[in-house]
Amino acid sequence: MSTLDYLFQGFGTALIWYNIIFAFVGVLIGTAVGVLPGIGPMSGVALLIPVTASITGGLPPEQAATSAIILLAGVYYGAMYGGSTTSILLNTPGESSSVVTTLDGYQMAKKGRAGSALSIAAIGSFVAGIVTLIALIALAKPLSEVALKFGPAEYFSLMLLGLGAVSGLAGKSVTKALIMTVCGLLLGTIGIDTVSGIARFTFEVPWLYQGIEFLTIAVGLFAVGEVFKTILEKEDEEVEMARITNMLPSKEEFKESAGPIARGSILGFFVGILPGAGATLASFFSYILEKKISKNPEKFGKGAIAGVAAPESANNAASGGAMIPLLTLGIPGSGTTAILMGALMMYNIQPGPLLFEDHPQVAWGLIASMFIGNLMLLILNLPLVKVFAKIIQTPKKYLIPMIIAISIFGVYAVQVSTNDLLLLLACGVLGYFFSKNDYPIAPLVLGLVLGPMIENNLRRALTISNGDYSVFLTRPISLAFLLITVLWLVVPFIMKRRGKDVVINIEG
Amino acid sequence: MEIKFDRIASVMFLTIGVLFIIGSKNLSSSSYGSVVGPDIFPLILGGALVLLSIRLFYETFNAKSEGSKEKLQYKPFLIIFTATLVYILTLETVGYVITTFLFLFVCFQTMERSKWINSLIISASFSGLVYFLFVEVLKGTLPGWPIWF
Repeated sequence: MSTLDYLFQGFGTALIWYNIIFAFVGVLIGTAVGVLPGIGPMSGVALLIPVTASITGGLPPEQAATSAIILLAGVYYGAMYGGSTTSILLNTPGESSSVVTTLDGYQMAKKGRAGSALSIAAIGSFVAGIVTLIALIALAKPLSEVALKFGPAEYFSLMLLGLGAVSGLAGKSVTKALIMTVCGLLLGTIGIDTVSGIARFTFEVPWLYQGIEFLTIAVGLFAVGEVFKTILEKEDEEVEMARITNMLPSKEEFKESAGPIARGSILGFFVGILPGAGATLASFFSYILEKKISKNPEKFGKGAIAGVAAPESANNAASGGAMIPLLTLGIPGSGTTAILMGALMMYNIQPGPLLFEDHPQVAWGLIASMFIGNLMLLILNLPLVKVFAKIIQTPKKYLIPMIIAISIFGVYAVQVSTNDLLLLLACGVLGYFFSKNDYPIAPLVLGLVLGPMIENNLRRALTISNGDYSVFLTRPISLAFLLITVLWLVVPFIMKRRGKDVVINIEG
Repeated sequence: MEIKFDRIASVMFLTIGVLFIIGSKNLSSSSYGSVVGPDIFPLILGGALVLLSIRLFYETFNAKSEGSKEKLQYKPFLIIFTATLVYILTLETVGYVITTFLFLFVCFQTMERSKWINSLIISASFSGLVYFLFVEVLKGTLPGWPIWF
């Protein structure tokens, strides 16, 4: 079957009535998550996994996985749309990938052009979403065919590359990021070893035999940790919202932003594919690029529409681009995609090259639903932006305890164990201290998700080579991956030594 | 504060690394014909963690202390933390509806002491709604009511 046939089948899946509802709910919650400062896409997706798991419980496994991933991915890219709203109206980015948008967006709002800034942001996000989807469709098949030729040695090195890239770019200190990665990998070894059947580090505690559940850790570190931070560092600031007057951008504004949107989409997409470099970095890069090639760079920072169009397109494109390594190689390049991967694995669906052959319904259904979701977001965001902006006025008083309650309900609904709830609480406290002291959390979750797979591939490769470790260096593709990993970790280090500013990825 | 935390953290990570090394030494090295047993991977990782934590400890000596001190709201945090702990521990015996209601009510009031009627209504409807949707509509399992009921 050709790619187009698969795509049509995907639309068939995505257009089932309940999947449309799932996509709609996903993008709606995603927009809300993007608008609310404090809940990023990572905690939003983590928080919703158990909720979707219980909602989809009645469906057959494959359909349940499709519906769940449609909703969760909707939250992910929906958050990219929502983030711009508060950046422009309130000068407070809803999540880290919209930080750059505040520079010009808020200035535009001050001059009474909030409406056109919001529309351009939404249109740019939409165009970028569609561009990346087309690229995703074009690249998915060939890439997964290449990946099918990989042996365990190549996989091991590739996953190492993914981990190294995320650690190299996450946070201020590479040492801390690597420590978190190793901790995640070590947590992944707890439980019954799948190859030999030996219980490792379980201390005869039955609860530990099935291993540490990734969901508990992710929800605890991200969502509960974030909540504790908000409680501890209470800020009472009354923000004044800019007024939205005219939603339609003028012809000139359209003309001015067409180029930035196109460049932002393409740049964002490629940055998104790279492991470790997520939406935050993409928006940052595209802003710098626009400023460099602009004829009058002095306009930036004073309300240039290109300064809104480019980063907003780029962050949405990056969120689509990040899906490529996840779906085709089975390697998440960022914290959020790691959580998405964990969600898929909860449904016993292994992302990777075989995904397109074994579960075409899941893969193509997701891709088709992203078309629909992006369209919904465009329609939702243009007229309803005022309603969304109101969400930010939700009193924290009610929001914070409810997030804790939802986390506890979610983890209990999936795990049905008080021990997991205690672990959740402990992770919340740890998550607060970790992020306060610049220990990035995303690498830990990534390590936890990838750990068992890395270990299996390592052992398979070594079994094939009869315990000869040089197998990773003699196979050319594997060697290339390892070299890139080393470069990725060493180059920023050297650049820092030379006193250059290294752009870091806060989102992970 | 940050440097102090980093030092304590590096010692803790060092301990974790050492414990994992000892733990994997105690695993049987191989259970079948393969050369690589279940102990190799955690052993390598434990070693890596030990090295990294030593490096972190070393880095704390070069780091400059940042003098930014902010006031933290310990009181509401401790109340909410305790409330969450009690909530978790009583969930299975007292049941979801009552514990969630009490937990939310206490937290709402801790965050801001006002409008207790609103807090009452919201916490009651949240716990009731979640229980109804999950147990009645989705047929999930939750300990609903006290076990002595």
